[in-house]
Amino acid sequence: MVTCPGCALLCDDIEVVVENNRIKETRNTCRRGAARMKGCVNRLAPSVAQKPDDIENAIKKAAAILQNAKSPMLFGWSNSTCEAQLEGIQLAKKMSAIMDDTSSFCQGLLIERILQKKFRTCTLDDIRNKADVLVYWGSDAQDSQPRHLSRFSYFPRGELRQRGYEEDRIAIAIDVRESNTAKICKGHFYRIPPKGDREFILALMDALSGKVPAYEPKKMLELAAILKKAEFGAIFVGLGLTYSIKDDFDILIPLADKLPNFNIMPMVGHYNMRGFNEALFKETGFVNRVKFDGKAIHDSRYSIVEALRKSIDALLVVGSDPLSSLPRSVIPHLANIPVICIDPCVTLTSKIAAVTIPCAVSGVETGGSTVRMDGKRVELSKCIESNYLNDKEILARLMEAL
Amino acid sequence: MGIDVGKYLKSPEYEIKITTYRDIFQAEALECDRFGAEYMKHSACLVMSKNDMVKMGLKTGNRVKLANNYGSVVVEVRESKRDEPGGIAFMVNSPWSNALVSDETGGKGIPEFKNITARISLVKDEATTLESLMGSFRK
Ligand code: SF4
Repeated sequence: MVTCPGCALLCDDIEVVVENNRIKETRNTCRRGAARMKGCVNRLAPSVAQKPDDIENAIKKAAAILQNAKSPMLFGWSNSTCEAQLEGIQLAKKMSAIMDDTSSFCQGLLIERILQKKFRTCTLDDIRNKADVLVYWGSDAQDSQPRHLSRFSYFPRGELRQRGYEEDRIAIAIDVRESNTAKICKGHFYRIPPKGDREFILALMDALSGKVPAYEPKKMLELAAILKKAEFGAIFVGLGLTYSIKDDFDILIPLADKLPNFNIMPMVGHYNMRGFNEALFKETGFVNRVKFDGKAIHDSRYSIVEALRKSIDALLVVGSDPLSSLPRSVIPHLANIPVICIDPCVTLTSKIAAVTIPCAVSGVETGGSTVRMDGKRVELSKCIESNYLNDKEILARLMEAL
Repeated sequence: MGIDVGKYLKSPEYEIKITTYRDIFQAEALECDRFGAEYMKHSACLVMSKNDMVKMGLKTGNRVKLANNYGSVVVEVRESKRDEPGGIAFMVNSPWSNALVSDETGGKGIPEFKNITARISLVKDEATTLESLMGSFRK
């Protein structure tokens, strides 16, 4: 059995069939996991100034770029092992660099509050064994963490939920779109307008306090009644909810307080985003967006989007493709500074990078530790041999070269 | 009710709200080949309610230009197979949807990835390729 690095569920019940040192087949993975483990068609090759080069030169050139920069930034990290992340943090400290990861425009707001213990939370195993009311809020787990419902939340027969979804569990979806997850939550799908989550939360709090809510009173009272009866509930907070209430995120805290039997679970996409958030939190007290300058300074200026618009003059990207995932309007800034890209595959970012350094695929060609969306540590295995260095080794070499 | 001037023009333009979502088939295609046809098929696409398509005179397979102050893309229209009330259209999150997202975040660092407003009009052009989205940024 090996672990799938396809998403932050880190399914550890995967079997692989290896033939000629390639993964020919995977068992128990979802489509996404299978595709991740079988690998991409375009492997990255080392290059300097858009010309093929060897890895030694690429690392040397990368070190020179970082050394010459006044304000370098190290970004990515959510597709890296914990070992690589720790190496990255040391590198950022050594260079007095800005450091951020994809949680900066993803679930960082929520993970930060979970690590600060502002929310009650639990493990996915608790959910499988005990949960009776599941709320997928702005979260289409079926497409983003595809085995969530089958391994942990809705379909399994857990210790206290032997009758599974047929009798023992209620699934509720709150979403702008009738997602694949919402389709499963038959009869319990609450459609809201875009940015309607805040109003929904306020109305739900009224309903939970026994007041008649201003918004959809009948439906809200019905929902409040289901939630109040829960013995062990879980709210799966997806990006839909996080983005919608990002300017007033703490509004979720009084709602969670009104639901003492509920736990909050961040629905994380990238397999080790939480690992990075925990490592940086341990080191600095912040989950992302820091500048090391003797001490760690935290500011939204150090978020990737704001930093690209303003202050940085070199960017090291590890296991991420900002050119693909950020607003296109930020990209001209990115194209104006030297970018170093460490990735197993060719990406949009690698195509404009001044230096590219290929690495091994974690969980396939190299092992390492990771942190699941619920905070449980999970080990990745090495399934096949490869000549690629892993990202921790590359970062260590970079550190030496500085 | 006023006169619908739009219908007398060649390609009337409407305002449309778009939100993004995730799709496992697109995620699978991304893992395999982000420069491939399959990834583009799932990404360069706008899913609309039947009501909105009738209102705007669009059919599945038509191509539309989506444009706002931040960028523009040509994508294919598909009718939603779901029971959508309309008023909002959907794109799988990708460089195509990100072309329409502002990098202005009020200093907070989180763009409005899921809250896009754009003008939509029927066009004959081919769908925007990843190459052309990238084009202007090559060094
Ligand atoms: S749900 Fe996530 S971890 Fe599990 S097999 Fe699919 S991609 Fe891999």
